Amino acid sequence: MSAEPVIEVVELSKQYKDIRAVDGISLSIPSNQIFSMLGANGAGKTTTVEILEGLRSPTSGSARVFGVDVAKDYRPIRSRVGILPQNFEPFDMLKPTEAIEYWAGLFDKKVTRKDVSDLLETVNLSHRKDVVSKKLSGGEKRKLGIALSLINEPELLFLDEPTTGLDPRARRDLWALIEGIKKKGSTVFLTTHYLDEAEKLSDDVAIMHKGRIITRGSPEDLVRKHGKLTVIVLAGAGEVGLKEVTRRGIDATLESDGDLLVPVRDPTEMRQIFQKLSGIELKVKDMYTRKQTLEDVFLSVVGQKMDEGVLGK
Amino acid sequence: MSRILADTIAFGKQYMRSGVAMFFAFAFPILLILIFGAIFSSQGEVALPLPVQDLDEGPYSTVFLNILANISVVDIEVIPSDVDISEYISDESLLVALQIPADFSSQVGAILADASAGPVNLTLYGDQTTSTYGTMSQVVQAAIDGMNYGLLGESPIVGFEAQSISLEDNMTFMDFFLPGVVGLVVMTNTLYTITSICAEYKSRGYFKLLATTNIKKHEWLLSKFIFYTVLLFASLLLTFAIGQAVFDMTSSLTPLAFAFIAAGGFLFLAMGMLLGTLVKDPESASAIANAVGFPMMFLSGIFFNLDGMPSYMQAISKVFPLTYFNDGLRATMIYDNTEVALVNLAIVVVLGLVFFVLGSKLLSWKER
Ligand SMILES: Nc1ncnc2c1ncn2[C@@H]1O[C@H](COP(=O)(O)OP(=O)(O)OP(=O)(O)O)[C@@H](O)[C@H]1O
Ligand SMILES: [Mg+2]
Repeated sequence: MSAEPVIEVVELSKQYKDIRAVDGISLSIPSNQIFSMLGANGAGKTTTVEILEGLRSPTSGSARVFGVDVAKDYRPIRSRVGILPQNFEPFDMLKPTEAIEYWAGLFDKKVTRKDVSDLLETVNLSHRKDVVSKKLSGGEKRKLGIALSLINEPELLFLDEPTTGLDPRARRDLWALIEGIKKKGSTVFLTTHYLDEAEKLSDDVAIMHKGRIITRGSPEDLVRKHGKLTVIVLAGAGEVGLKEVTRRGIDATLESDGDLLVPVRDPTEMRQIFQKLSGIELKVKDMYTRKQTLEDVFLSVVGQKMDEGVLGK
Repeated sequence: MSRILADTIAFGKQYMRSGVAMFFAFAFPILLILIFGAIFSSQGEVALPLPVQDLDEGPYSTVFLNILANISVVDIEVIPSDVDISEYISDESLLVALQIPADFSSQVGAILADASAGPVNLTLYGDQTTSTYGTMSQVVQAAIDGMNYGLLGESPIVGFEAQSISLEDNMTFMDFFLPGVVGLVVMTNTLYTITSICAEYKSRGYFKLLATTNIKKHEWLLSKFIFYTVLLFASLLLTFAIGQAVFDMTSSLTPLAFAFIAAGGFLFLAMGMLLGTLVKDPESASAIANAVGFPMMFLSGIFFNLDGMPSYMQAISKVFPLTYFNDGLRATMIYDNTEVALVNLAIVVVLGLVFFVLGSKLLSWKER
């Protein structure tokens, strides 16, 4: 692994007519990581990714991939980069085997039968290799797209919302596939609006909002930085509970469903807080601890929750 | 080269698996030829019917009817002598009818003896403003002239002979029509298809995908050119074979005809790619292709000879590339006029190159 970053972005911006889709972002991504760009619809993920893929030109700033300025000439790095575009659609009337042979041909690459079947095996599509692509399921189509993007055994793979619209099973399938790709030594640049996906897969997460990166770090770092690490949940404690607890000098927040959350910022506080709580007469349905997730982080930095890419209250 | 080959093979497979496309290359020209062939081929033999009521039925009326019957464009139909001709005309919705008076033979006899007694008149019923009436009165006049000369024992000085419009005696409508159909097939298969492919590739993101590979725009278009050339050669062979088998054709399949197919395919593919720069979605694609293709279809002489059209229409037709394709293809297939064919071929190739350069420059695979 070289020390040089795979991707180096400095003050990158993209202005469409009246929208600043990307607003001065800077990024440096080391190799052999899964980097996730997490954000709602319209956050600017695809714009960023396509600039890095050489498909759109930036308005200002610079973007380098393997040290090459992507706005100038992409050819030298074309075969080192694999791409799965957002909403990838395979060619309807080609079978997966044919599509892979075709794609290899477009890269001037000779492939043997075995290469093709190995690749189909990698993406777990062997059993569907002779079905015309339009008859594949949504998840299978994405797998075929990933197979195409892997044709050159790329060192860097861009996956733009690879699991959007898929059922949970197909998503888990793809997660395993993506983890496998990283294990083989590649760097993966993933965009997603699924918090669990980013949390599960990423070594490094950047939360993007309105064209800016508003926070970045490993999922654990982000939770430590913006969340409260662990909370004690007093289920159903309600207003009464809140009053009792705060009267004893314990910090707490009341959820809309009546659950009372007591944050524990430092693991050493845990014992002390439990002792205090046990001294209070409280009517609770249940009492348990919960680790915070990226979801809490997202809520805290963006101020809104996100569901299927849509921001809500 | 391997990129072009890979793209040609993949495109061919996709194309062959879609039935609609195959229809336009093979079933469409055959249907056109059979349908239009059936409609137009018989027209040359159709004679205009001329209903005649012979009230005389004497020697001279028989002579007159014989002369009339020898004029090939009319077909005499007999009106019974015992009906009222005016009623008969309206009952049968006739456009014209000729009546020979009852005393025709005796009158002719009398006039021959004493010229100052004549002439005896035949009556042509009908609406004098119609073209049928005009034609028929000419025909009847001709028969009358013929009879007069015969009766006077003089031979006519100037005669005339009917001749159907063709350079070769046995050229049929099909000979004229088939190159037109070929032109239509070449144009629809390439221009329409490539415009809609551009729309599909844009809206489904295929162009973007292709932009991430090594293939270049001109290579992509060349691969379509290779595929369509092979396909259209096959279509031409089949269409020509059917034309030959079903109709009596004298035109021939010259090497230049194949050159035209290739050059025409190239021209309309390039033109389609140029139109493709304007389209965003499949709907606008067919609208734009039709806006260009439709006038071209009718004003380039596919279905009828433009020589008979007003001069401004002929001038307009010179704007359409298809005109040169048609003219050249006819020159080689029907008239065996290599010189004219080559000039038109050169025009087609040059236009194709211009569109090709413009198209590959202007069509963008990426987003801006
Ligand atoms: N070609 C374009 N022309 C004009 N505006 C654009 C264009 N592409 C994107 N935008 C706008 O730029 C903003 C960012 O879009 P982008 O596609 O990068 O977001 P995204 O994060 O990928 O969203 P999603 O999750 O929906 O894919 C949006 O407001 C979008 O409407
Ligand atoms: Mg996007």
